[in-house]
Amino acid sequence: MIIIAIILGCVIGAIIGVNAPIIPYTYSTFLAIAVVAALDSVFGGITSVIKKNFDLTIFITGFFCNSILSIALTYLGQRLNIDIYLAALVVFVGRMFTNLTIIRRYYVDLWKSKITQKVKSGKKAEE
Amino acid sequence: MNNKNKISLVIGGMCILLSCGIAIQVRTITGIGSTTGSNNTENTLRDSVLRTKEDYDNLYEDLDKAEKLLEQERNNATENNTELSELQEEIKTKNTQLGLTDVTGKGVIIELDDNHSVSANSIGLLTDPNSMIVHDSDILYVVNELKNAGAEAISVNDQRIVANTVIECDGSVIKINGVKVGAPFTIKAIGMPETLKNVYRTQGYLWNLKYYYLLEVDFQTSENITIPKYTGTYKFEYAQANN
Repeated sequence: MIIIAIILGCVIGAIIGVNAPIIPYTYSTFLAIAVVAALDSVFGGITSVIKKNFDLTIFITGFFCNSILSIALTYLGQRLNIDIYLAALVVFVGRMFTNLTIIRRYYVDLWKSKITQKVKSGKKAEE
Repeated sequence: MNNKNKISLVIGGMCILLSCGIAIQVRTITGIGSTTGSNNTENTLRDSVLRTKEDYDNLYEDLDKAEKLLEQERNNATENNTELSELQEEIKTKNTQLGLTDVTGKGVIIELDDNHSVSANSIGLLTDPNSMIVHDSDILYVVNELKNAGAEAISVNDQRIVANTVIECDGSVIKINGVKVGAPFTIKAIGMPETLKNVYRTQGYLWNLKYYYLLEVDFQTSENITIPKYTGTYKFEYAQANN
């Protein structure tokens, strides 16, 4: 169900994005960092679904707060002439990898247990 | 189940936003034709060039708007006054003559390009490969001939040729009005087509460029040519009118 929602969302979003007007180059840095923040939030959401502690409010607020905060940090960095967005990037991408590891482990475990179950049931049938 | 539906719906919505953002970003970057290189200095420089260019475009748009507003204000102010509206008309004519307005009309379009068909092997020993490319002097000559044939407005690659235009060599490109332009060159001229046709006469300069120097030359007349205005400024500090 969730996987279908993700795929459908991505397809619809891509269609909208292809037909939407492009933004000025000056603001493209902000959009880029917001995209990375949103990506991190989505990965975090999937992880929490797997861990079964998913909270809708936390997810939605996290999605928007992360994006807005990262944009604000990038803007501040531009004012101060320091690449603060790099720090945000490191955090987001680092967390994405952690979440990806959790998701991967979950599915690998699921797969393994299915195989062992099959083997067990096969053995039982033989007996 | 209801809860799960809700979760899928929200995650789906987020994915819409996310992929929409990615698509817009990708299109913005590809539209500019810039990708992140490995060299940090190069990236910073490219970034600042793009930003400056965008700033320039925005300011230019503002200037355009301001000029239109000024025009409108002038029209409003001179509406009920014959003397002033005559002056207003004069300003318009003078601006057109100075090349400060976009103009449309019939005339000729000349396309000039380097000779692309020759290579190091096919070129003869005695032929100078330098003669196979378009030079600043070629442009100057052609522009001069067009002026001689009575062209009222001329542009080269959308750079308006006015009284203080400089056409100079700048390495592999040509600088016109301080702006770098490169081959192929599109020279547009508005004027009486019958006389402008004489620029492409047999043994004329343009004809020689094509048949003697073997450049790629295309000459055609057109009923509807638009020539953009001169975007620079006129400076008059030392010359004073004597009257």
